Amino acid sequence: MPRASLRDLSLLFLRIGNTTLGGGEPTIAALQRELIRRGWLTPEQFGVAFALARITPGTNMLAFSAAAGWYILGLTGALCGVLAVTIPSSLLVVWLTGICEAGAQIAWLGAVVAATIAAALGIMAAAALLLIRSQFGSGHWAIPLLIAAAAFGLRFLGLTPIEIIALAAIAGLFWRQA
Amino acid sequence: MNLLLLYLLLLKATLTSFSGLASLPVLRSDLVLRYHVLTDRQLNTAVAAGRMGPGPVGNYVVSVGYQIAGYPGAGAGWLAMITPAFVILLLIRFIGRRAEHPRARGMVRAIILAGAGLLLSAAVPLAHDAIRGPLPLFIASASLLLTLLTRLDAIWIVLCAGLLGLAAFSV
Repeated sequence: MPRASLRDLSLLFLRIGNTTLGGGEPTIAALQRELIRRGWLTPEQFGVAFALARITPGTNMLAFSAAAGWYILGLTGALCGVLAVTIPSSLLVVWLTGICEAGAQIAWLGAVVAATIAAALGIMAAAALLLIRSQFGSGHWAIPLLIAAAAFGLRFLGLTPIEIIALAAIAGLFWRQA
Repeated sequence: MNLLLLYLLLLKATLTSFSGLASLPVLRSDLVLRYHVLTDRQLNTAVAAGRMGPGPVGNYVVSVGYQIAGYPGAGAGWLAMITPAFVILLLIRFIGRRAEHPRARGMVRAIILAGAGLLLSAAVPLAHDAIRGPLPLFIASASLLLTLLTRLDAIWIVLCAGLLGLAAFSV
């Protein structure tokens, strides 16, 4: 199996992590293509990294990057993968936040920012609905709907989100799938 | 707010979610409702700033940190965003293929769904802040439908919304 250098690994993650639009899934797909094509990762390793990334807390794509980097170059590879994927886009987010804040002083910029905020809100609600739909796969469709509705309802009874997530985790242990 | 506390609160949100924006309800409950160091307007701004560029959806946490404590805060947010990723190294070591165990899968699926329900409930007060008037209402509904029904990337939706806002301001 060809051995990657730390430099090549960082450059690949830098390029794909910061230029692929659409968030986690398209980025993982692009990394999969490149990593397997170069022979840095076996399809078997990709399978394990992908499956475990979905059950790792936080952003799945970052967990996947850590796992892929780990298989390729150990702990240094994991660190480089995650840093290369996140540092440029994080700097960009800080810069964009600065622009949004300036919208408070400049009227036309404020109008633009207010419009993008409304769009982001619509996208957020759609993301939640798509997340619910994505779990319809196996078993009865009513169960995913019920859990999401329960979380929605419980929130208005004064429970904190953490308490509701803990309740869901316990219920999930007994959720038998078809 | 002290940086360590900020990091720990943000970490609490990222460690208890399994996808980009699912950390938002926990984050809002602590920073907006409990500690009052962030407003709904700032949280809305963070989500929008995150969607204006490439990178993971979870990077709105960096913007939240920046708005609370400047560049050091952005650093705390960035660290809180990447810390959970390294949990996967422990999972590779100790779980590997057993990740497909039905109980583990059931638990993760239930948390994902609860997270989606909580995200919808957190969107209600955020909408209250962001939607004032017919134009934002139109933009938010159109963005919702476009995301649900097409494969159009968020960045184009946000860009078009910005242009629409500018056009409405100019006339």
